[in-house]
Amino acid sequence: MSDRDDVLQFPGDADDAALGARVAELYRSLPPRTPAEADRCAAAVLAEAARIPQGWRAVMPRQRWWWGAAAAALLVAVTMRPWRPGAATRDADSAFTSMSRVASAAALKGSITPLAGGDAVRFDVTLPAGTKDVAIVGDFNGWDENATPMLLRSGDGAWTAQVALPPGRHVYAFVVDGARWLVDPMAPQVPDAGFGPANALVVDRTR
Amino acid sequence: MTDAELVARTRAGDADAFGALVSRYYDACWRFAYHMLGERADADDVVQDAFLRAYLAIGRYDERDQFRGWLFRILTNQCRNAITSRSRRTRRFVQDEAAIESAATPVLGLQLGVEDAALQRALAQLDPLQREALLLKYAEGLEYTEMSRMTGVGESALKMRVKRGSERLRALLGKLDV
Repeated sequence: MSDRDDVLQFPGDADDAALGARVAELYRSLPPRTPAEADRCAAAVLAEAARIPQGWRAVMPRQRWWWGAAAAALLVAVTMRPWRPGAATRDADSAFTSMSRVASAAALKGSITPLAGGDAVRFDVTLPAGTKDVAIVGDFNGWDENATPMLLRSGDGAWTAQVALPPGRHVYAFVVDGARWLVDPMAPQVPDAGFGPANALVVDRTR
Repeated sequence: MTDAELVARTRAGDADAFGALVSRYYDACWRFAYHMLGERADADDVVQDAFLRAYLAIGRYDERDQFRGWLFRILTNQCRNAITSRSRRTRRFVQDEAAIESAATPVLGLQLGVEDAALQRALAQLDPLQREALLLKYAEGLEYTEMSRMTGVGESALKMRVKRGSERLRALLGKLDV
């Protein structure tokens, strides 16, 4: 599925070589720090560290990579209790009960809905069954796949997320299963600037 | 002496070994912090904080990582924290284009040429996450895999930040270059 037209490709030419060289030159043009400055820094660090009780450093265990995952799983289990009867139905309806459902006729279908009474915009996208997780990324969250996960609203593959957006132009995309970047086929798209298939954009309402 | 040997000696309580690590990486850390923060005093503070955190956590440093990468992971976090706390105080990095055009050239206290000063000003106006990605990519010369390991952000997101940051930087330079 990676060769689909709606999957953003990163062929490695995203970098602006001329601009990069200019930034590197600026970086190198800074006069080097003197050894005396490094010595003062080391002395200050050691003096500060000496004021911190020795004990707590010794008892701090090495962090393990799975601690975060275990803590998140425990939090989800305690707060959502997915084993209780009818939990899936209630969870699907709880946050968006007053909003209209998005039709799921297409394999990939998106929509954008400005919500009354605030800056929030609701993004909906319907994806094939088997999709494990979806996130929305854009200028508004630094293109961070972990910042704005979307919620699976029902068993028909409809994913949704609300994002607070100020009026203005916002560029965004969807990330499916942490790897595939998809454009929104139902929204206007950014002209391809040589970076790959076009991304989608929203011009938010003016107030 | 290698980084690994200096780390081992530091763990054993050898202050001189830690001083050698600071001497080895102080300039690189300060250079990055200065370009992230735009102020010498802020760069001094952040670099010192980063080395302090590294010293306190050196018992948990994993030898399979490059020491420089591990240190820069701490440093980038400290820079982000400094920007967050400073933006609450001063909102120095404004996004308003009219303000950008009318803003006075910051006093850097460094001997920079006219062109460099324009680029320095343009960098300072970038979103901090875009500035961080551009510096790691263009100035530090890191691969996206290394940047991802260092920042905890996906490679696609980093490529997008570099792409968008480059576009923004070019647009700003178009206004600032005269």
